[in-house]
Amino acid sequence: MSAERDPDAALMLRVKQGDTAAFEQLVEKYKQPVMNVVYRMLHDATEAEDVAQNVFVQVYKSAARYEVSSKFSTWLFTIARNLSLNELRRRSRHPADSMDAGHPEQEEQPSQQFEDKKTFSPPESLLHGELEQKIEEALTELPENQRTAILLCRQDELSYEDIAKVLQCSLSATKSLIHRGREALKQKLKPYLRTGVWRDIK
Amino acid sequence: MGTDPFYQKLQEISWRRKLTSAEERELREWLAAHPEVQETVELESGLTEVLAKMPDVPVASNFTVRVLQAVEREAMAEARRAGSRWKLWKRFPRWLPRVASATLVVTAAGSLYLYNQSAQAKQRRELVQRVARVQLPSPEILTNFDAIRIVSTTPAPDEQLLALFQ
Repeated sequence: MSAERDPDAALMLRVKQGDTAAFEQLVEKYKQPVMNVVYRMLHDATEAEDVAQNVFVQVYKSAARYEVSSKFSTWLFTIARNLSLNELRRRSRHPADSMDAGHPEQEEQPSQQFEDKKTFSPPESLLHGELEQKIEEALTELPENQRTAILLCRQDELSYEDIAKVLQCSLSATKSLIHRGREALKQKLKPYLRTGVWRDIK
Repeated sequence: MGTDPFYQKLQEISWRRKLTSAEERELREWLAAHPEVQETVELESGLTEVLAKMPDVPVASNFTVRVLQAVEREAMAEARRAGSRWKLWKRFPRWLPRVASATLVVTAAGSLYLYNQSAQAKQRRELVQRVARVQLPSPEILTNFDAIRIVSTTPAPDEQLLALFQ
């Protein structure tokens, strides 16, 4: 992998030289995908935002040691996953700290927990209500590695090989995780998928 | 059917994106020969679409600003840490003579102590070797020890009287 083939790696090399504007571009590009993954791992909007910010701070701090050996996004999502796992471990050691983390039912609108929130754009969010809640619940019930594999699958720029690198397992194991995760999701969402209700929701 | 390479390939593609019209046509042709998989394929494609339509999690509009502020704070903290390391380094020359003298004294005292210990051990070894070399008399010479001792304690002869007799 060379910086010419990966424009993000080229930006990262500029960050390495102390270019803050390049870093800002990377944050702007990846804040949404990182938040999507981190939030769906932690299910707490405030913690997710803290962890997502920390992901980028780690990227900046590690810039001096950055080498273009693999895709930037692979490296970024590996950091995101590791920090989320650390947070989950910290939470399991100190369960009292996470009492402010609401129940899944209360998390339908995580935007309520943000001080400064962007307006949620209805045309882009086609899934609402019951089905959206069911999908989030079904994803939550999956084992962490299956859930992460499926979430990373949504990232266009990540190939199966890249996902395997993030999950630190083989390509076949990664495909198996995705397959098993999807099987579980299909079982839980079957009634909705059969009706095709998701096609009509606007 | 999940092990059919053709279906598996299309399935893996469909996990990532919607199939192209050419791929869909191929799949339809394949499904015509395998109608029992029809429902599975529909569920698969439905799930892919549902997952793709999952809404983005809202991100605070000042997210980037906050990240940049956090990075700046980190940089300042790092500069402070580097500054304190530099101060320590700058103070070091003043410590140097004291540290060097103390090290020298401790080393000299230690060396002297070790030298004495070694010399004493050497002396002890030599003494033991010398004693081992000494030839002790045979115990037989002590057979008449008591008689000889008694004889030696009798008074000495009167020299004047002996002279008169002569």
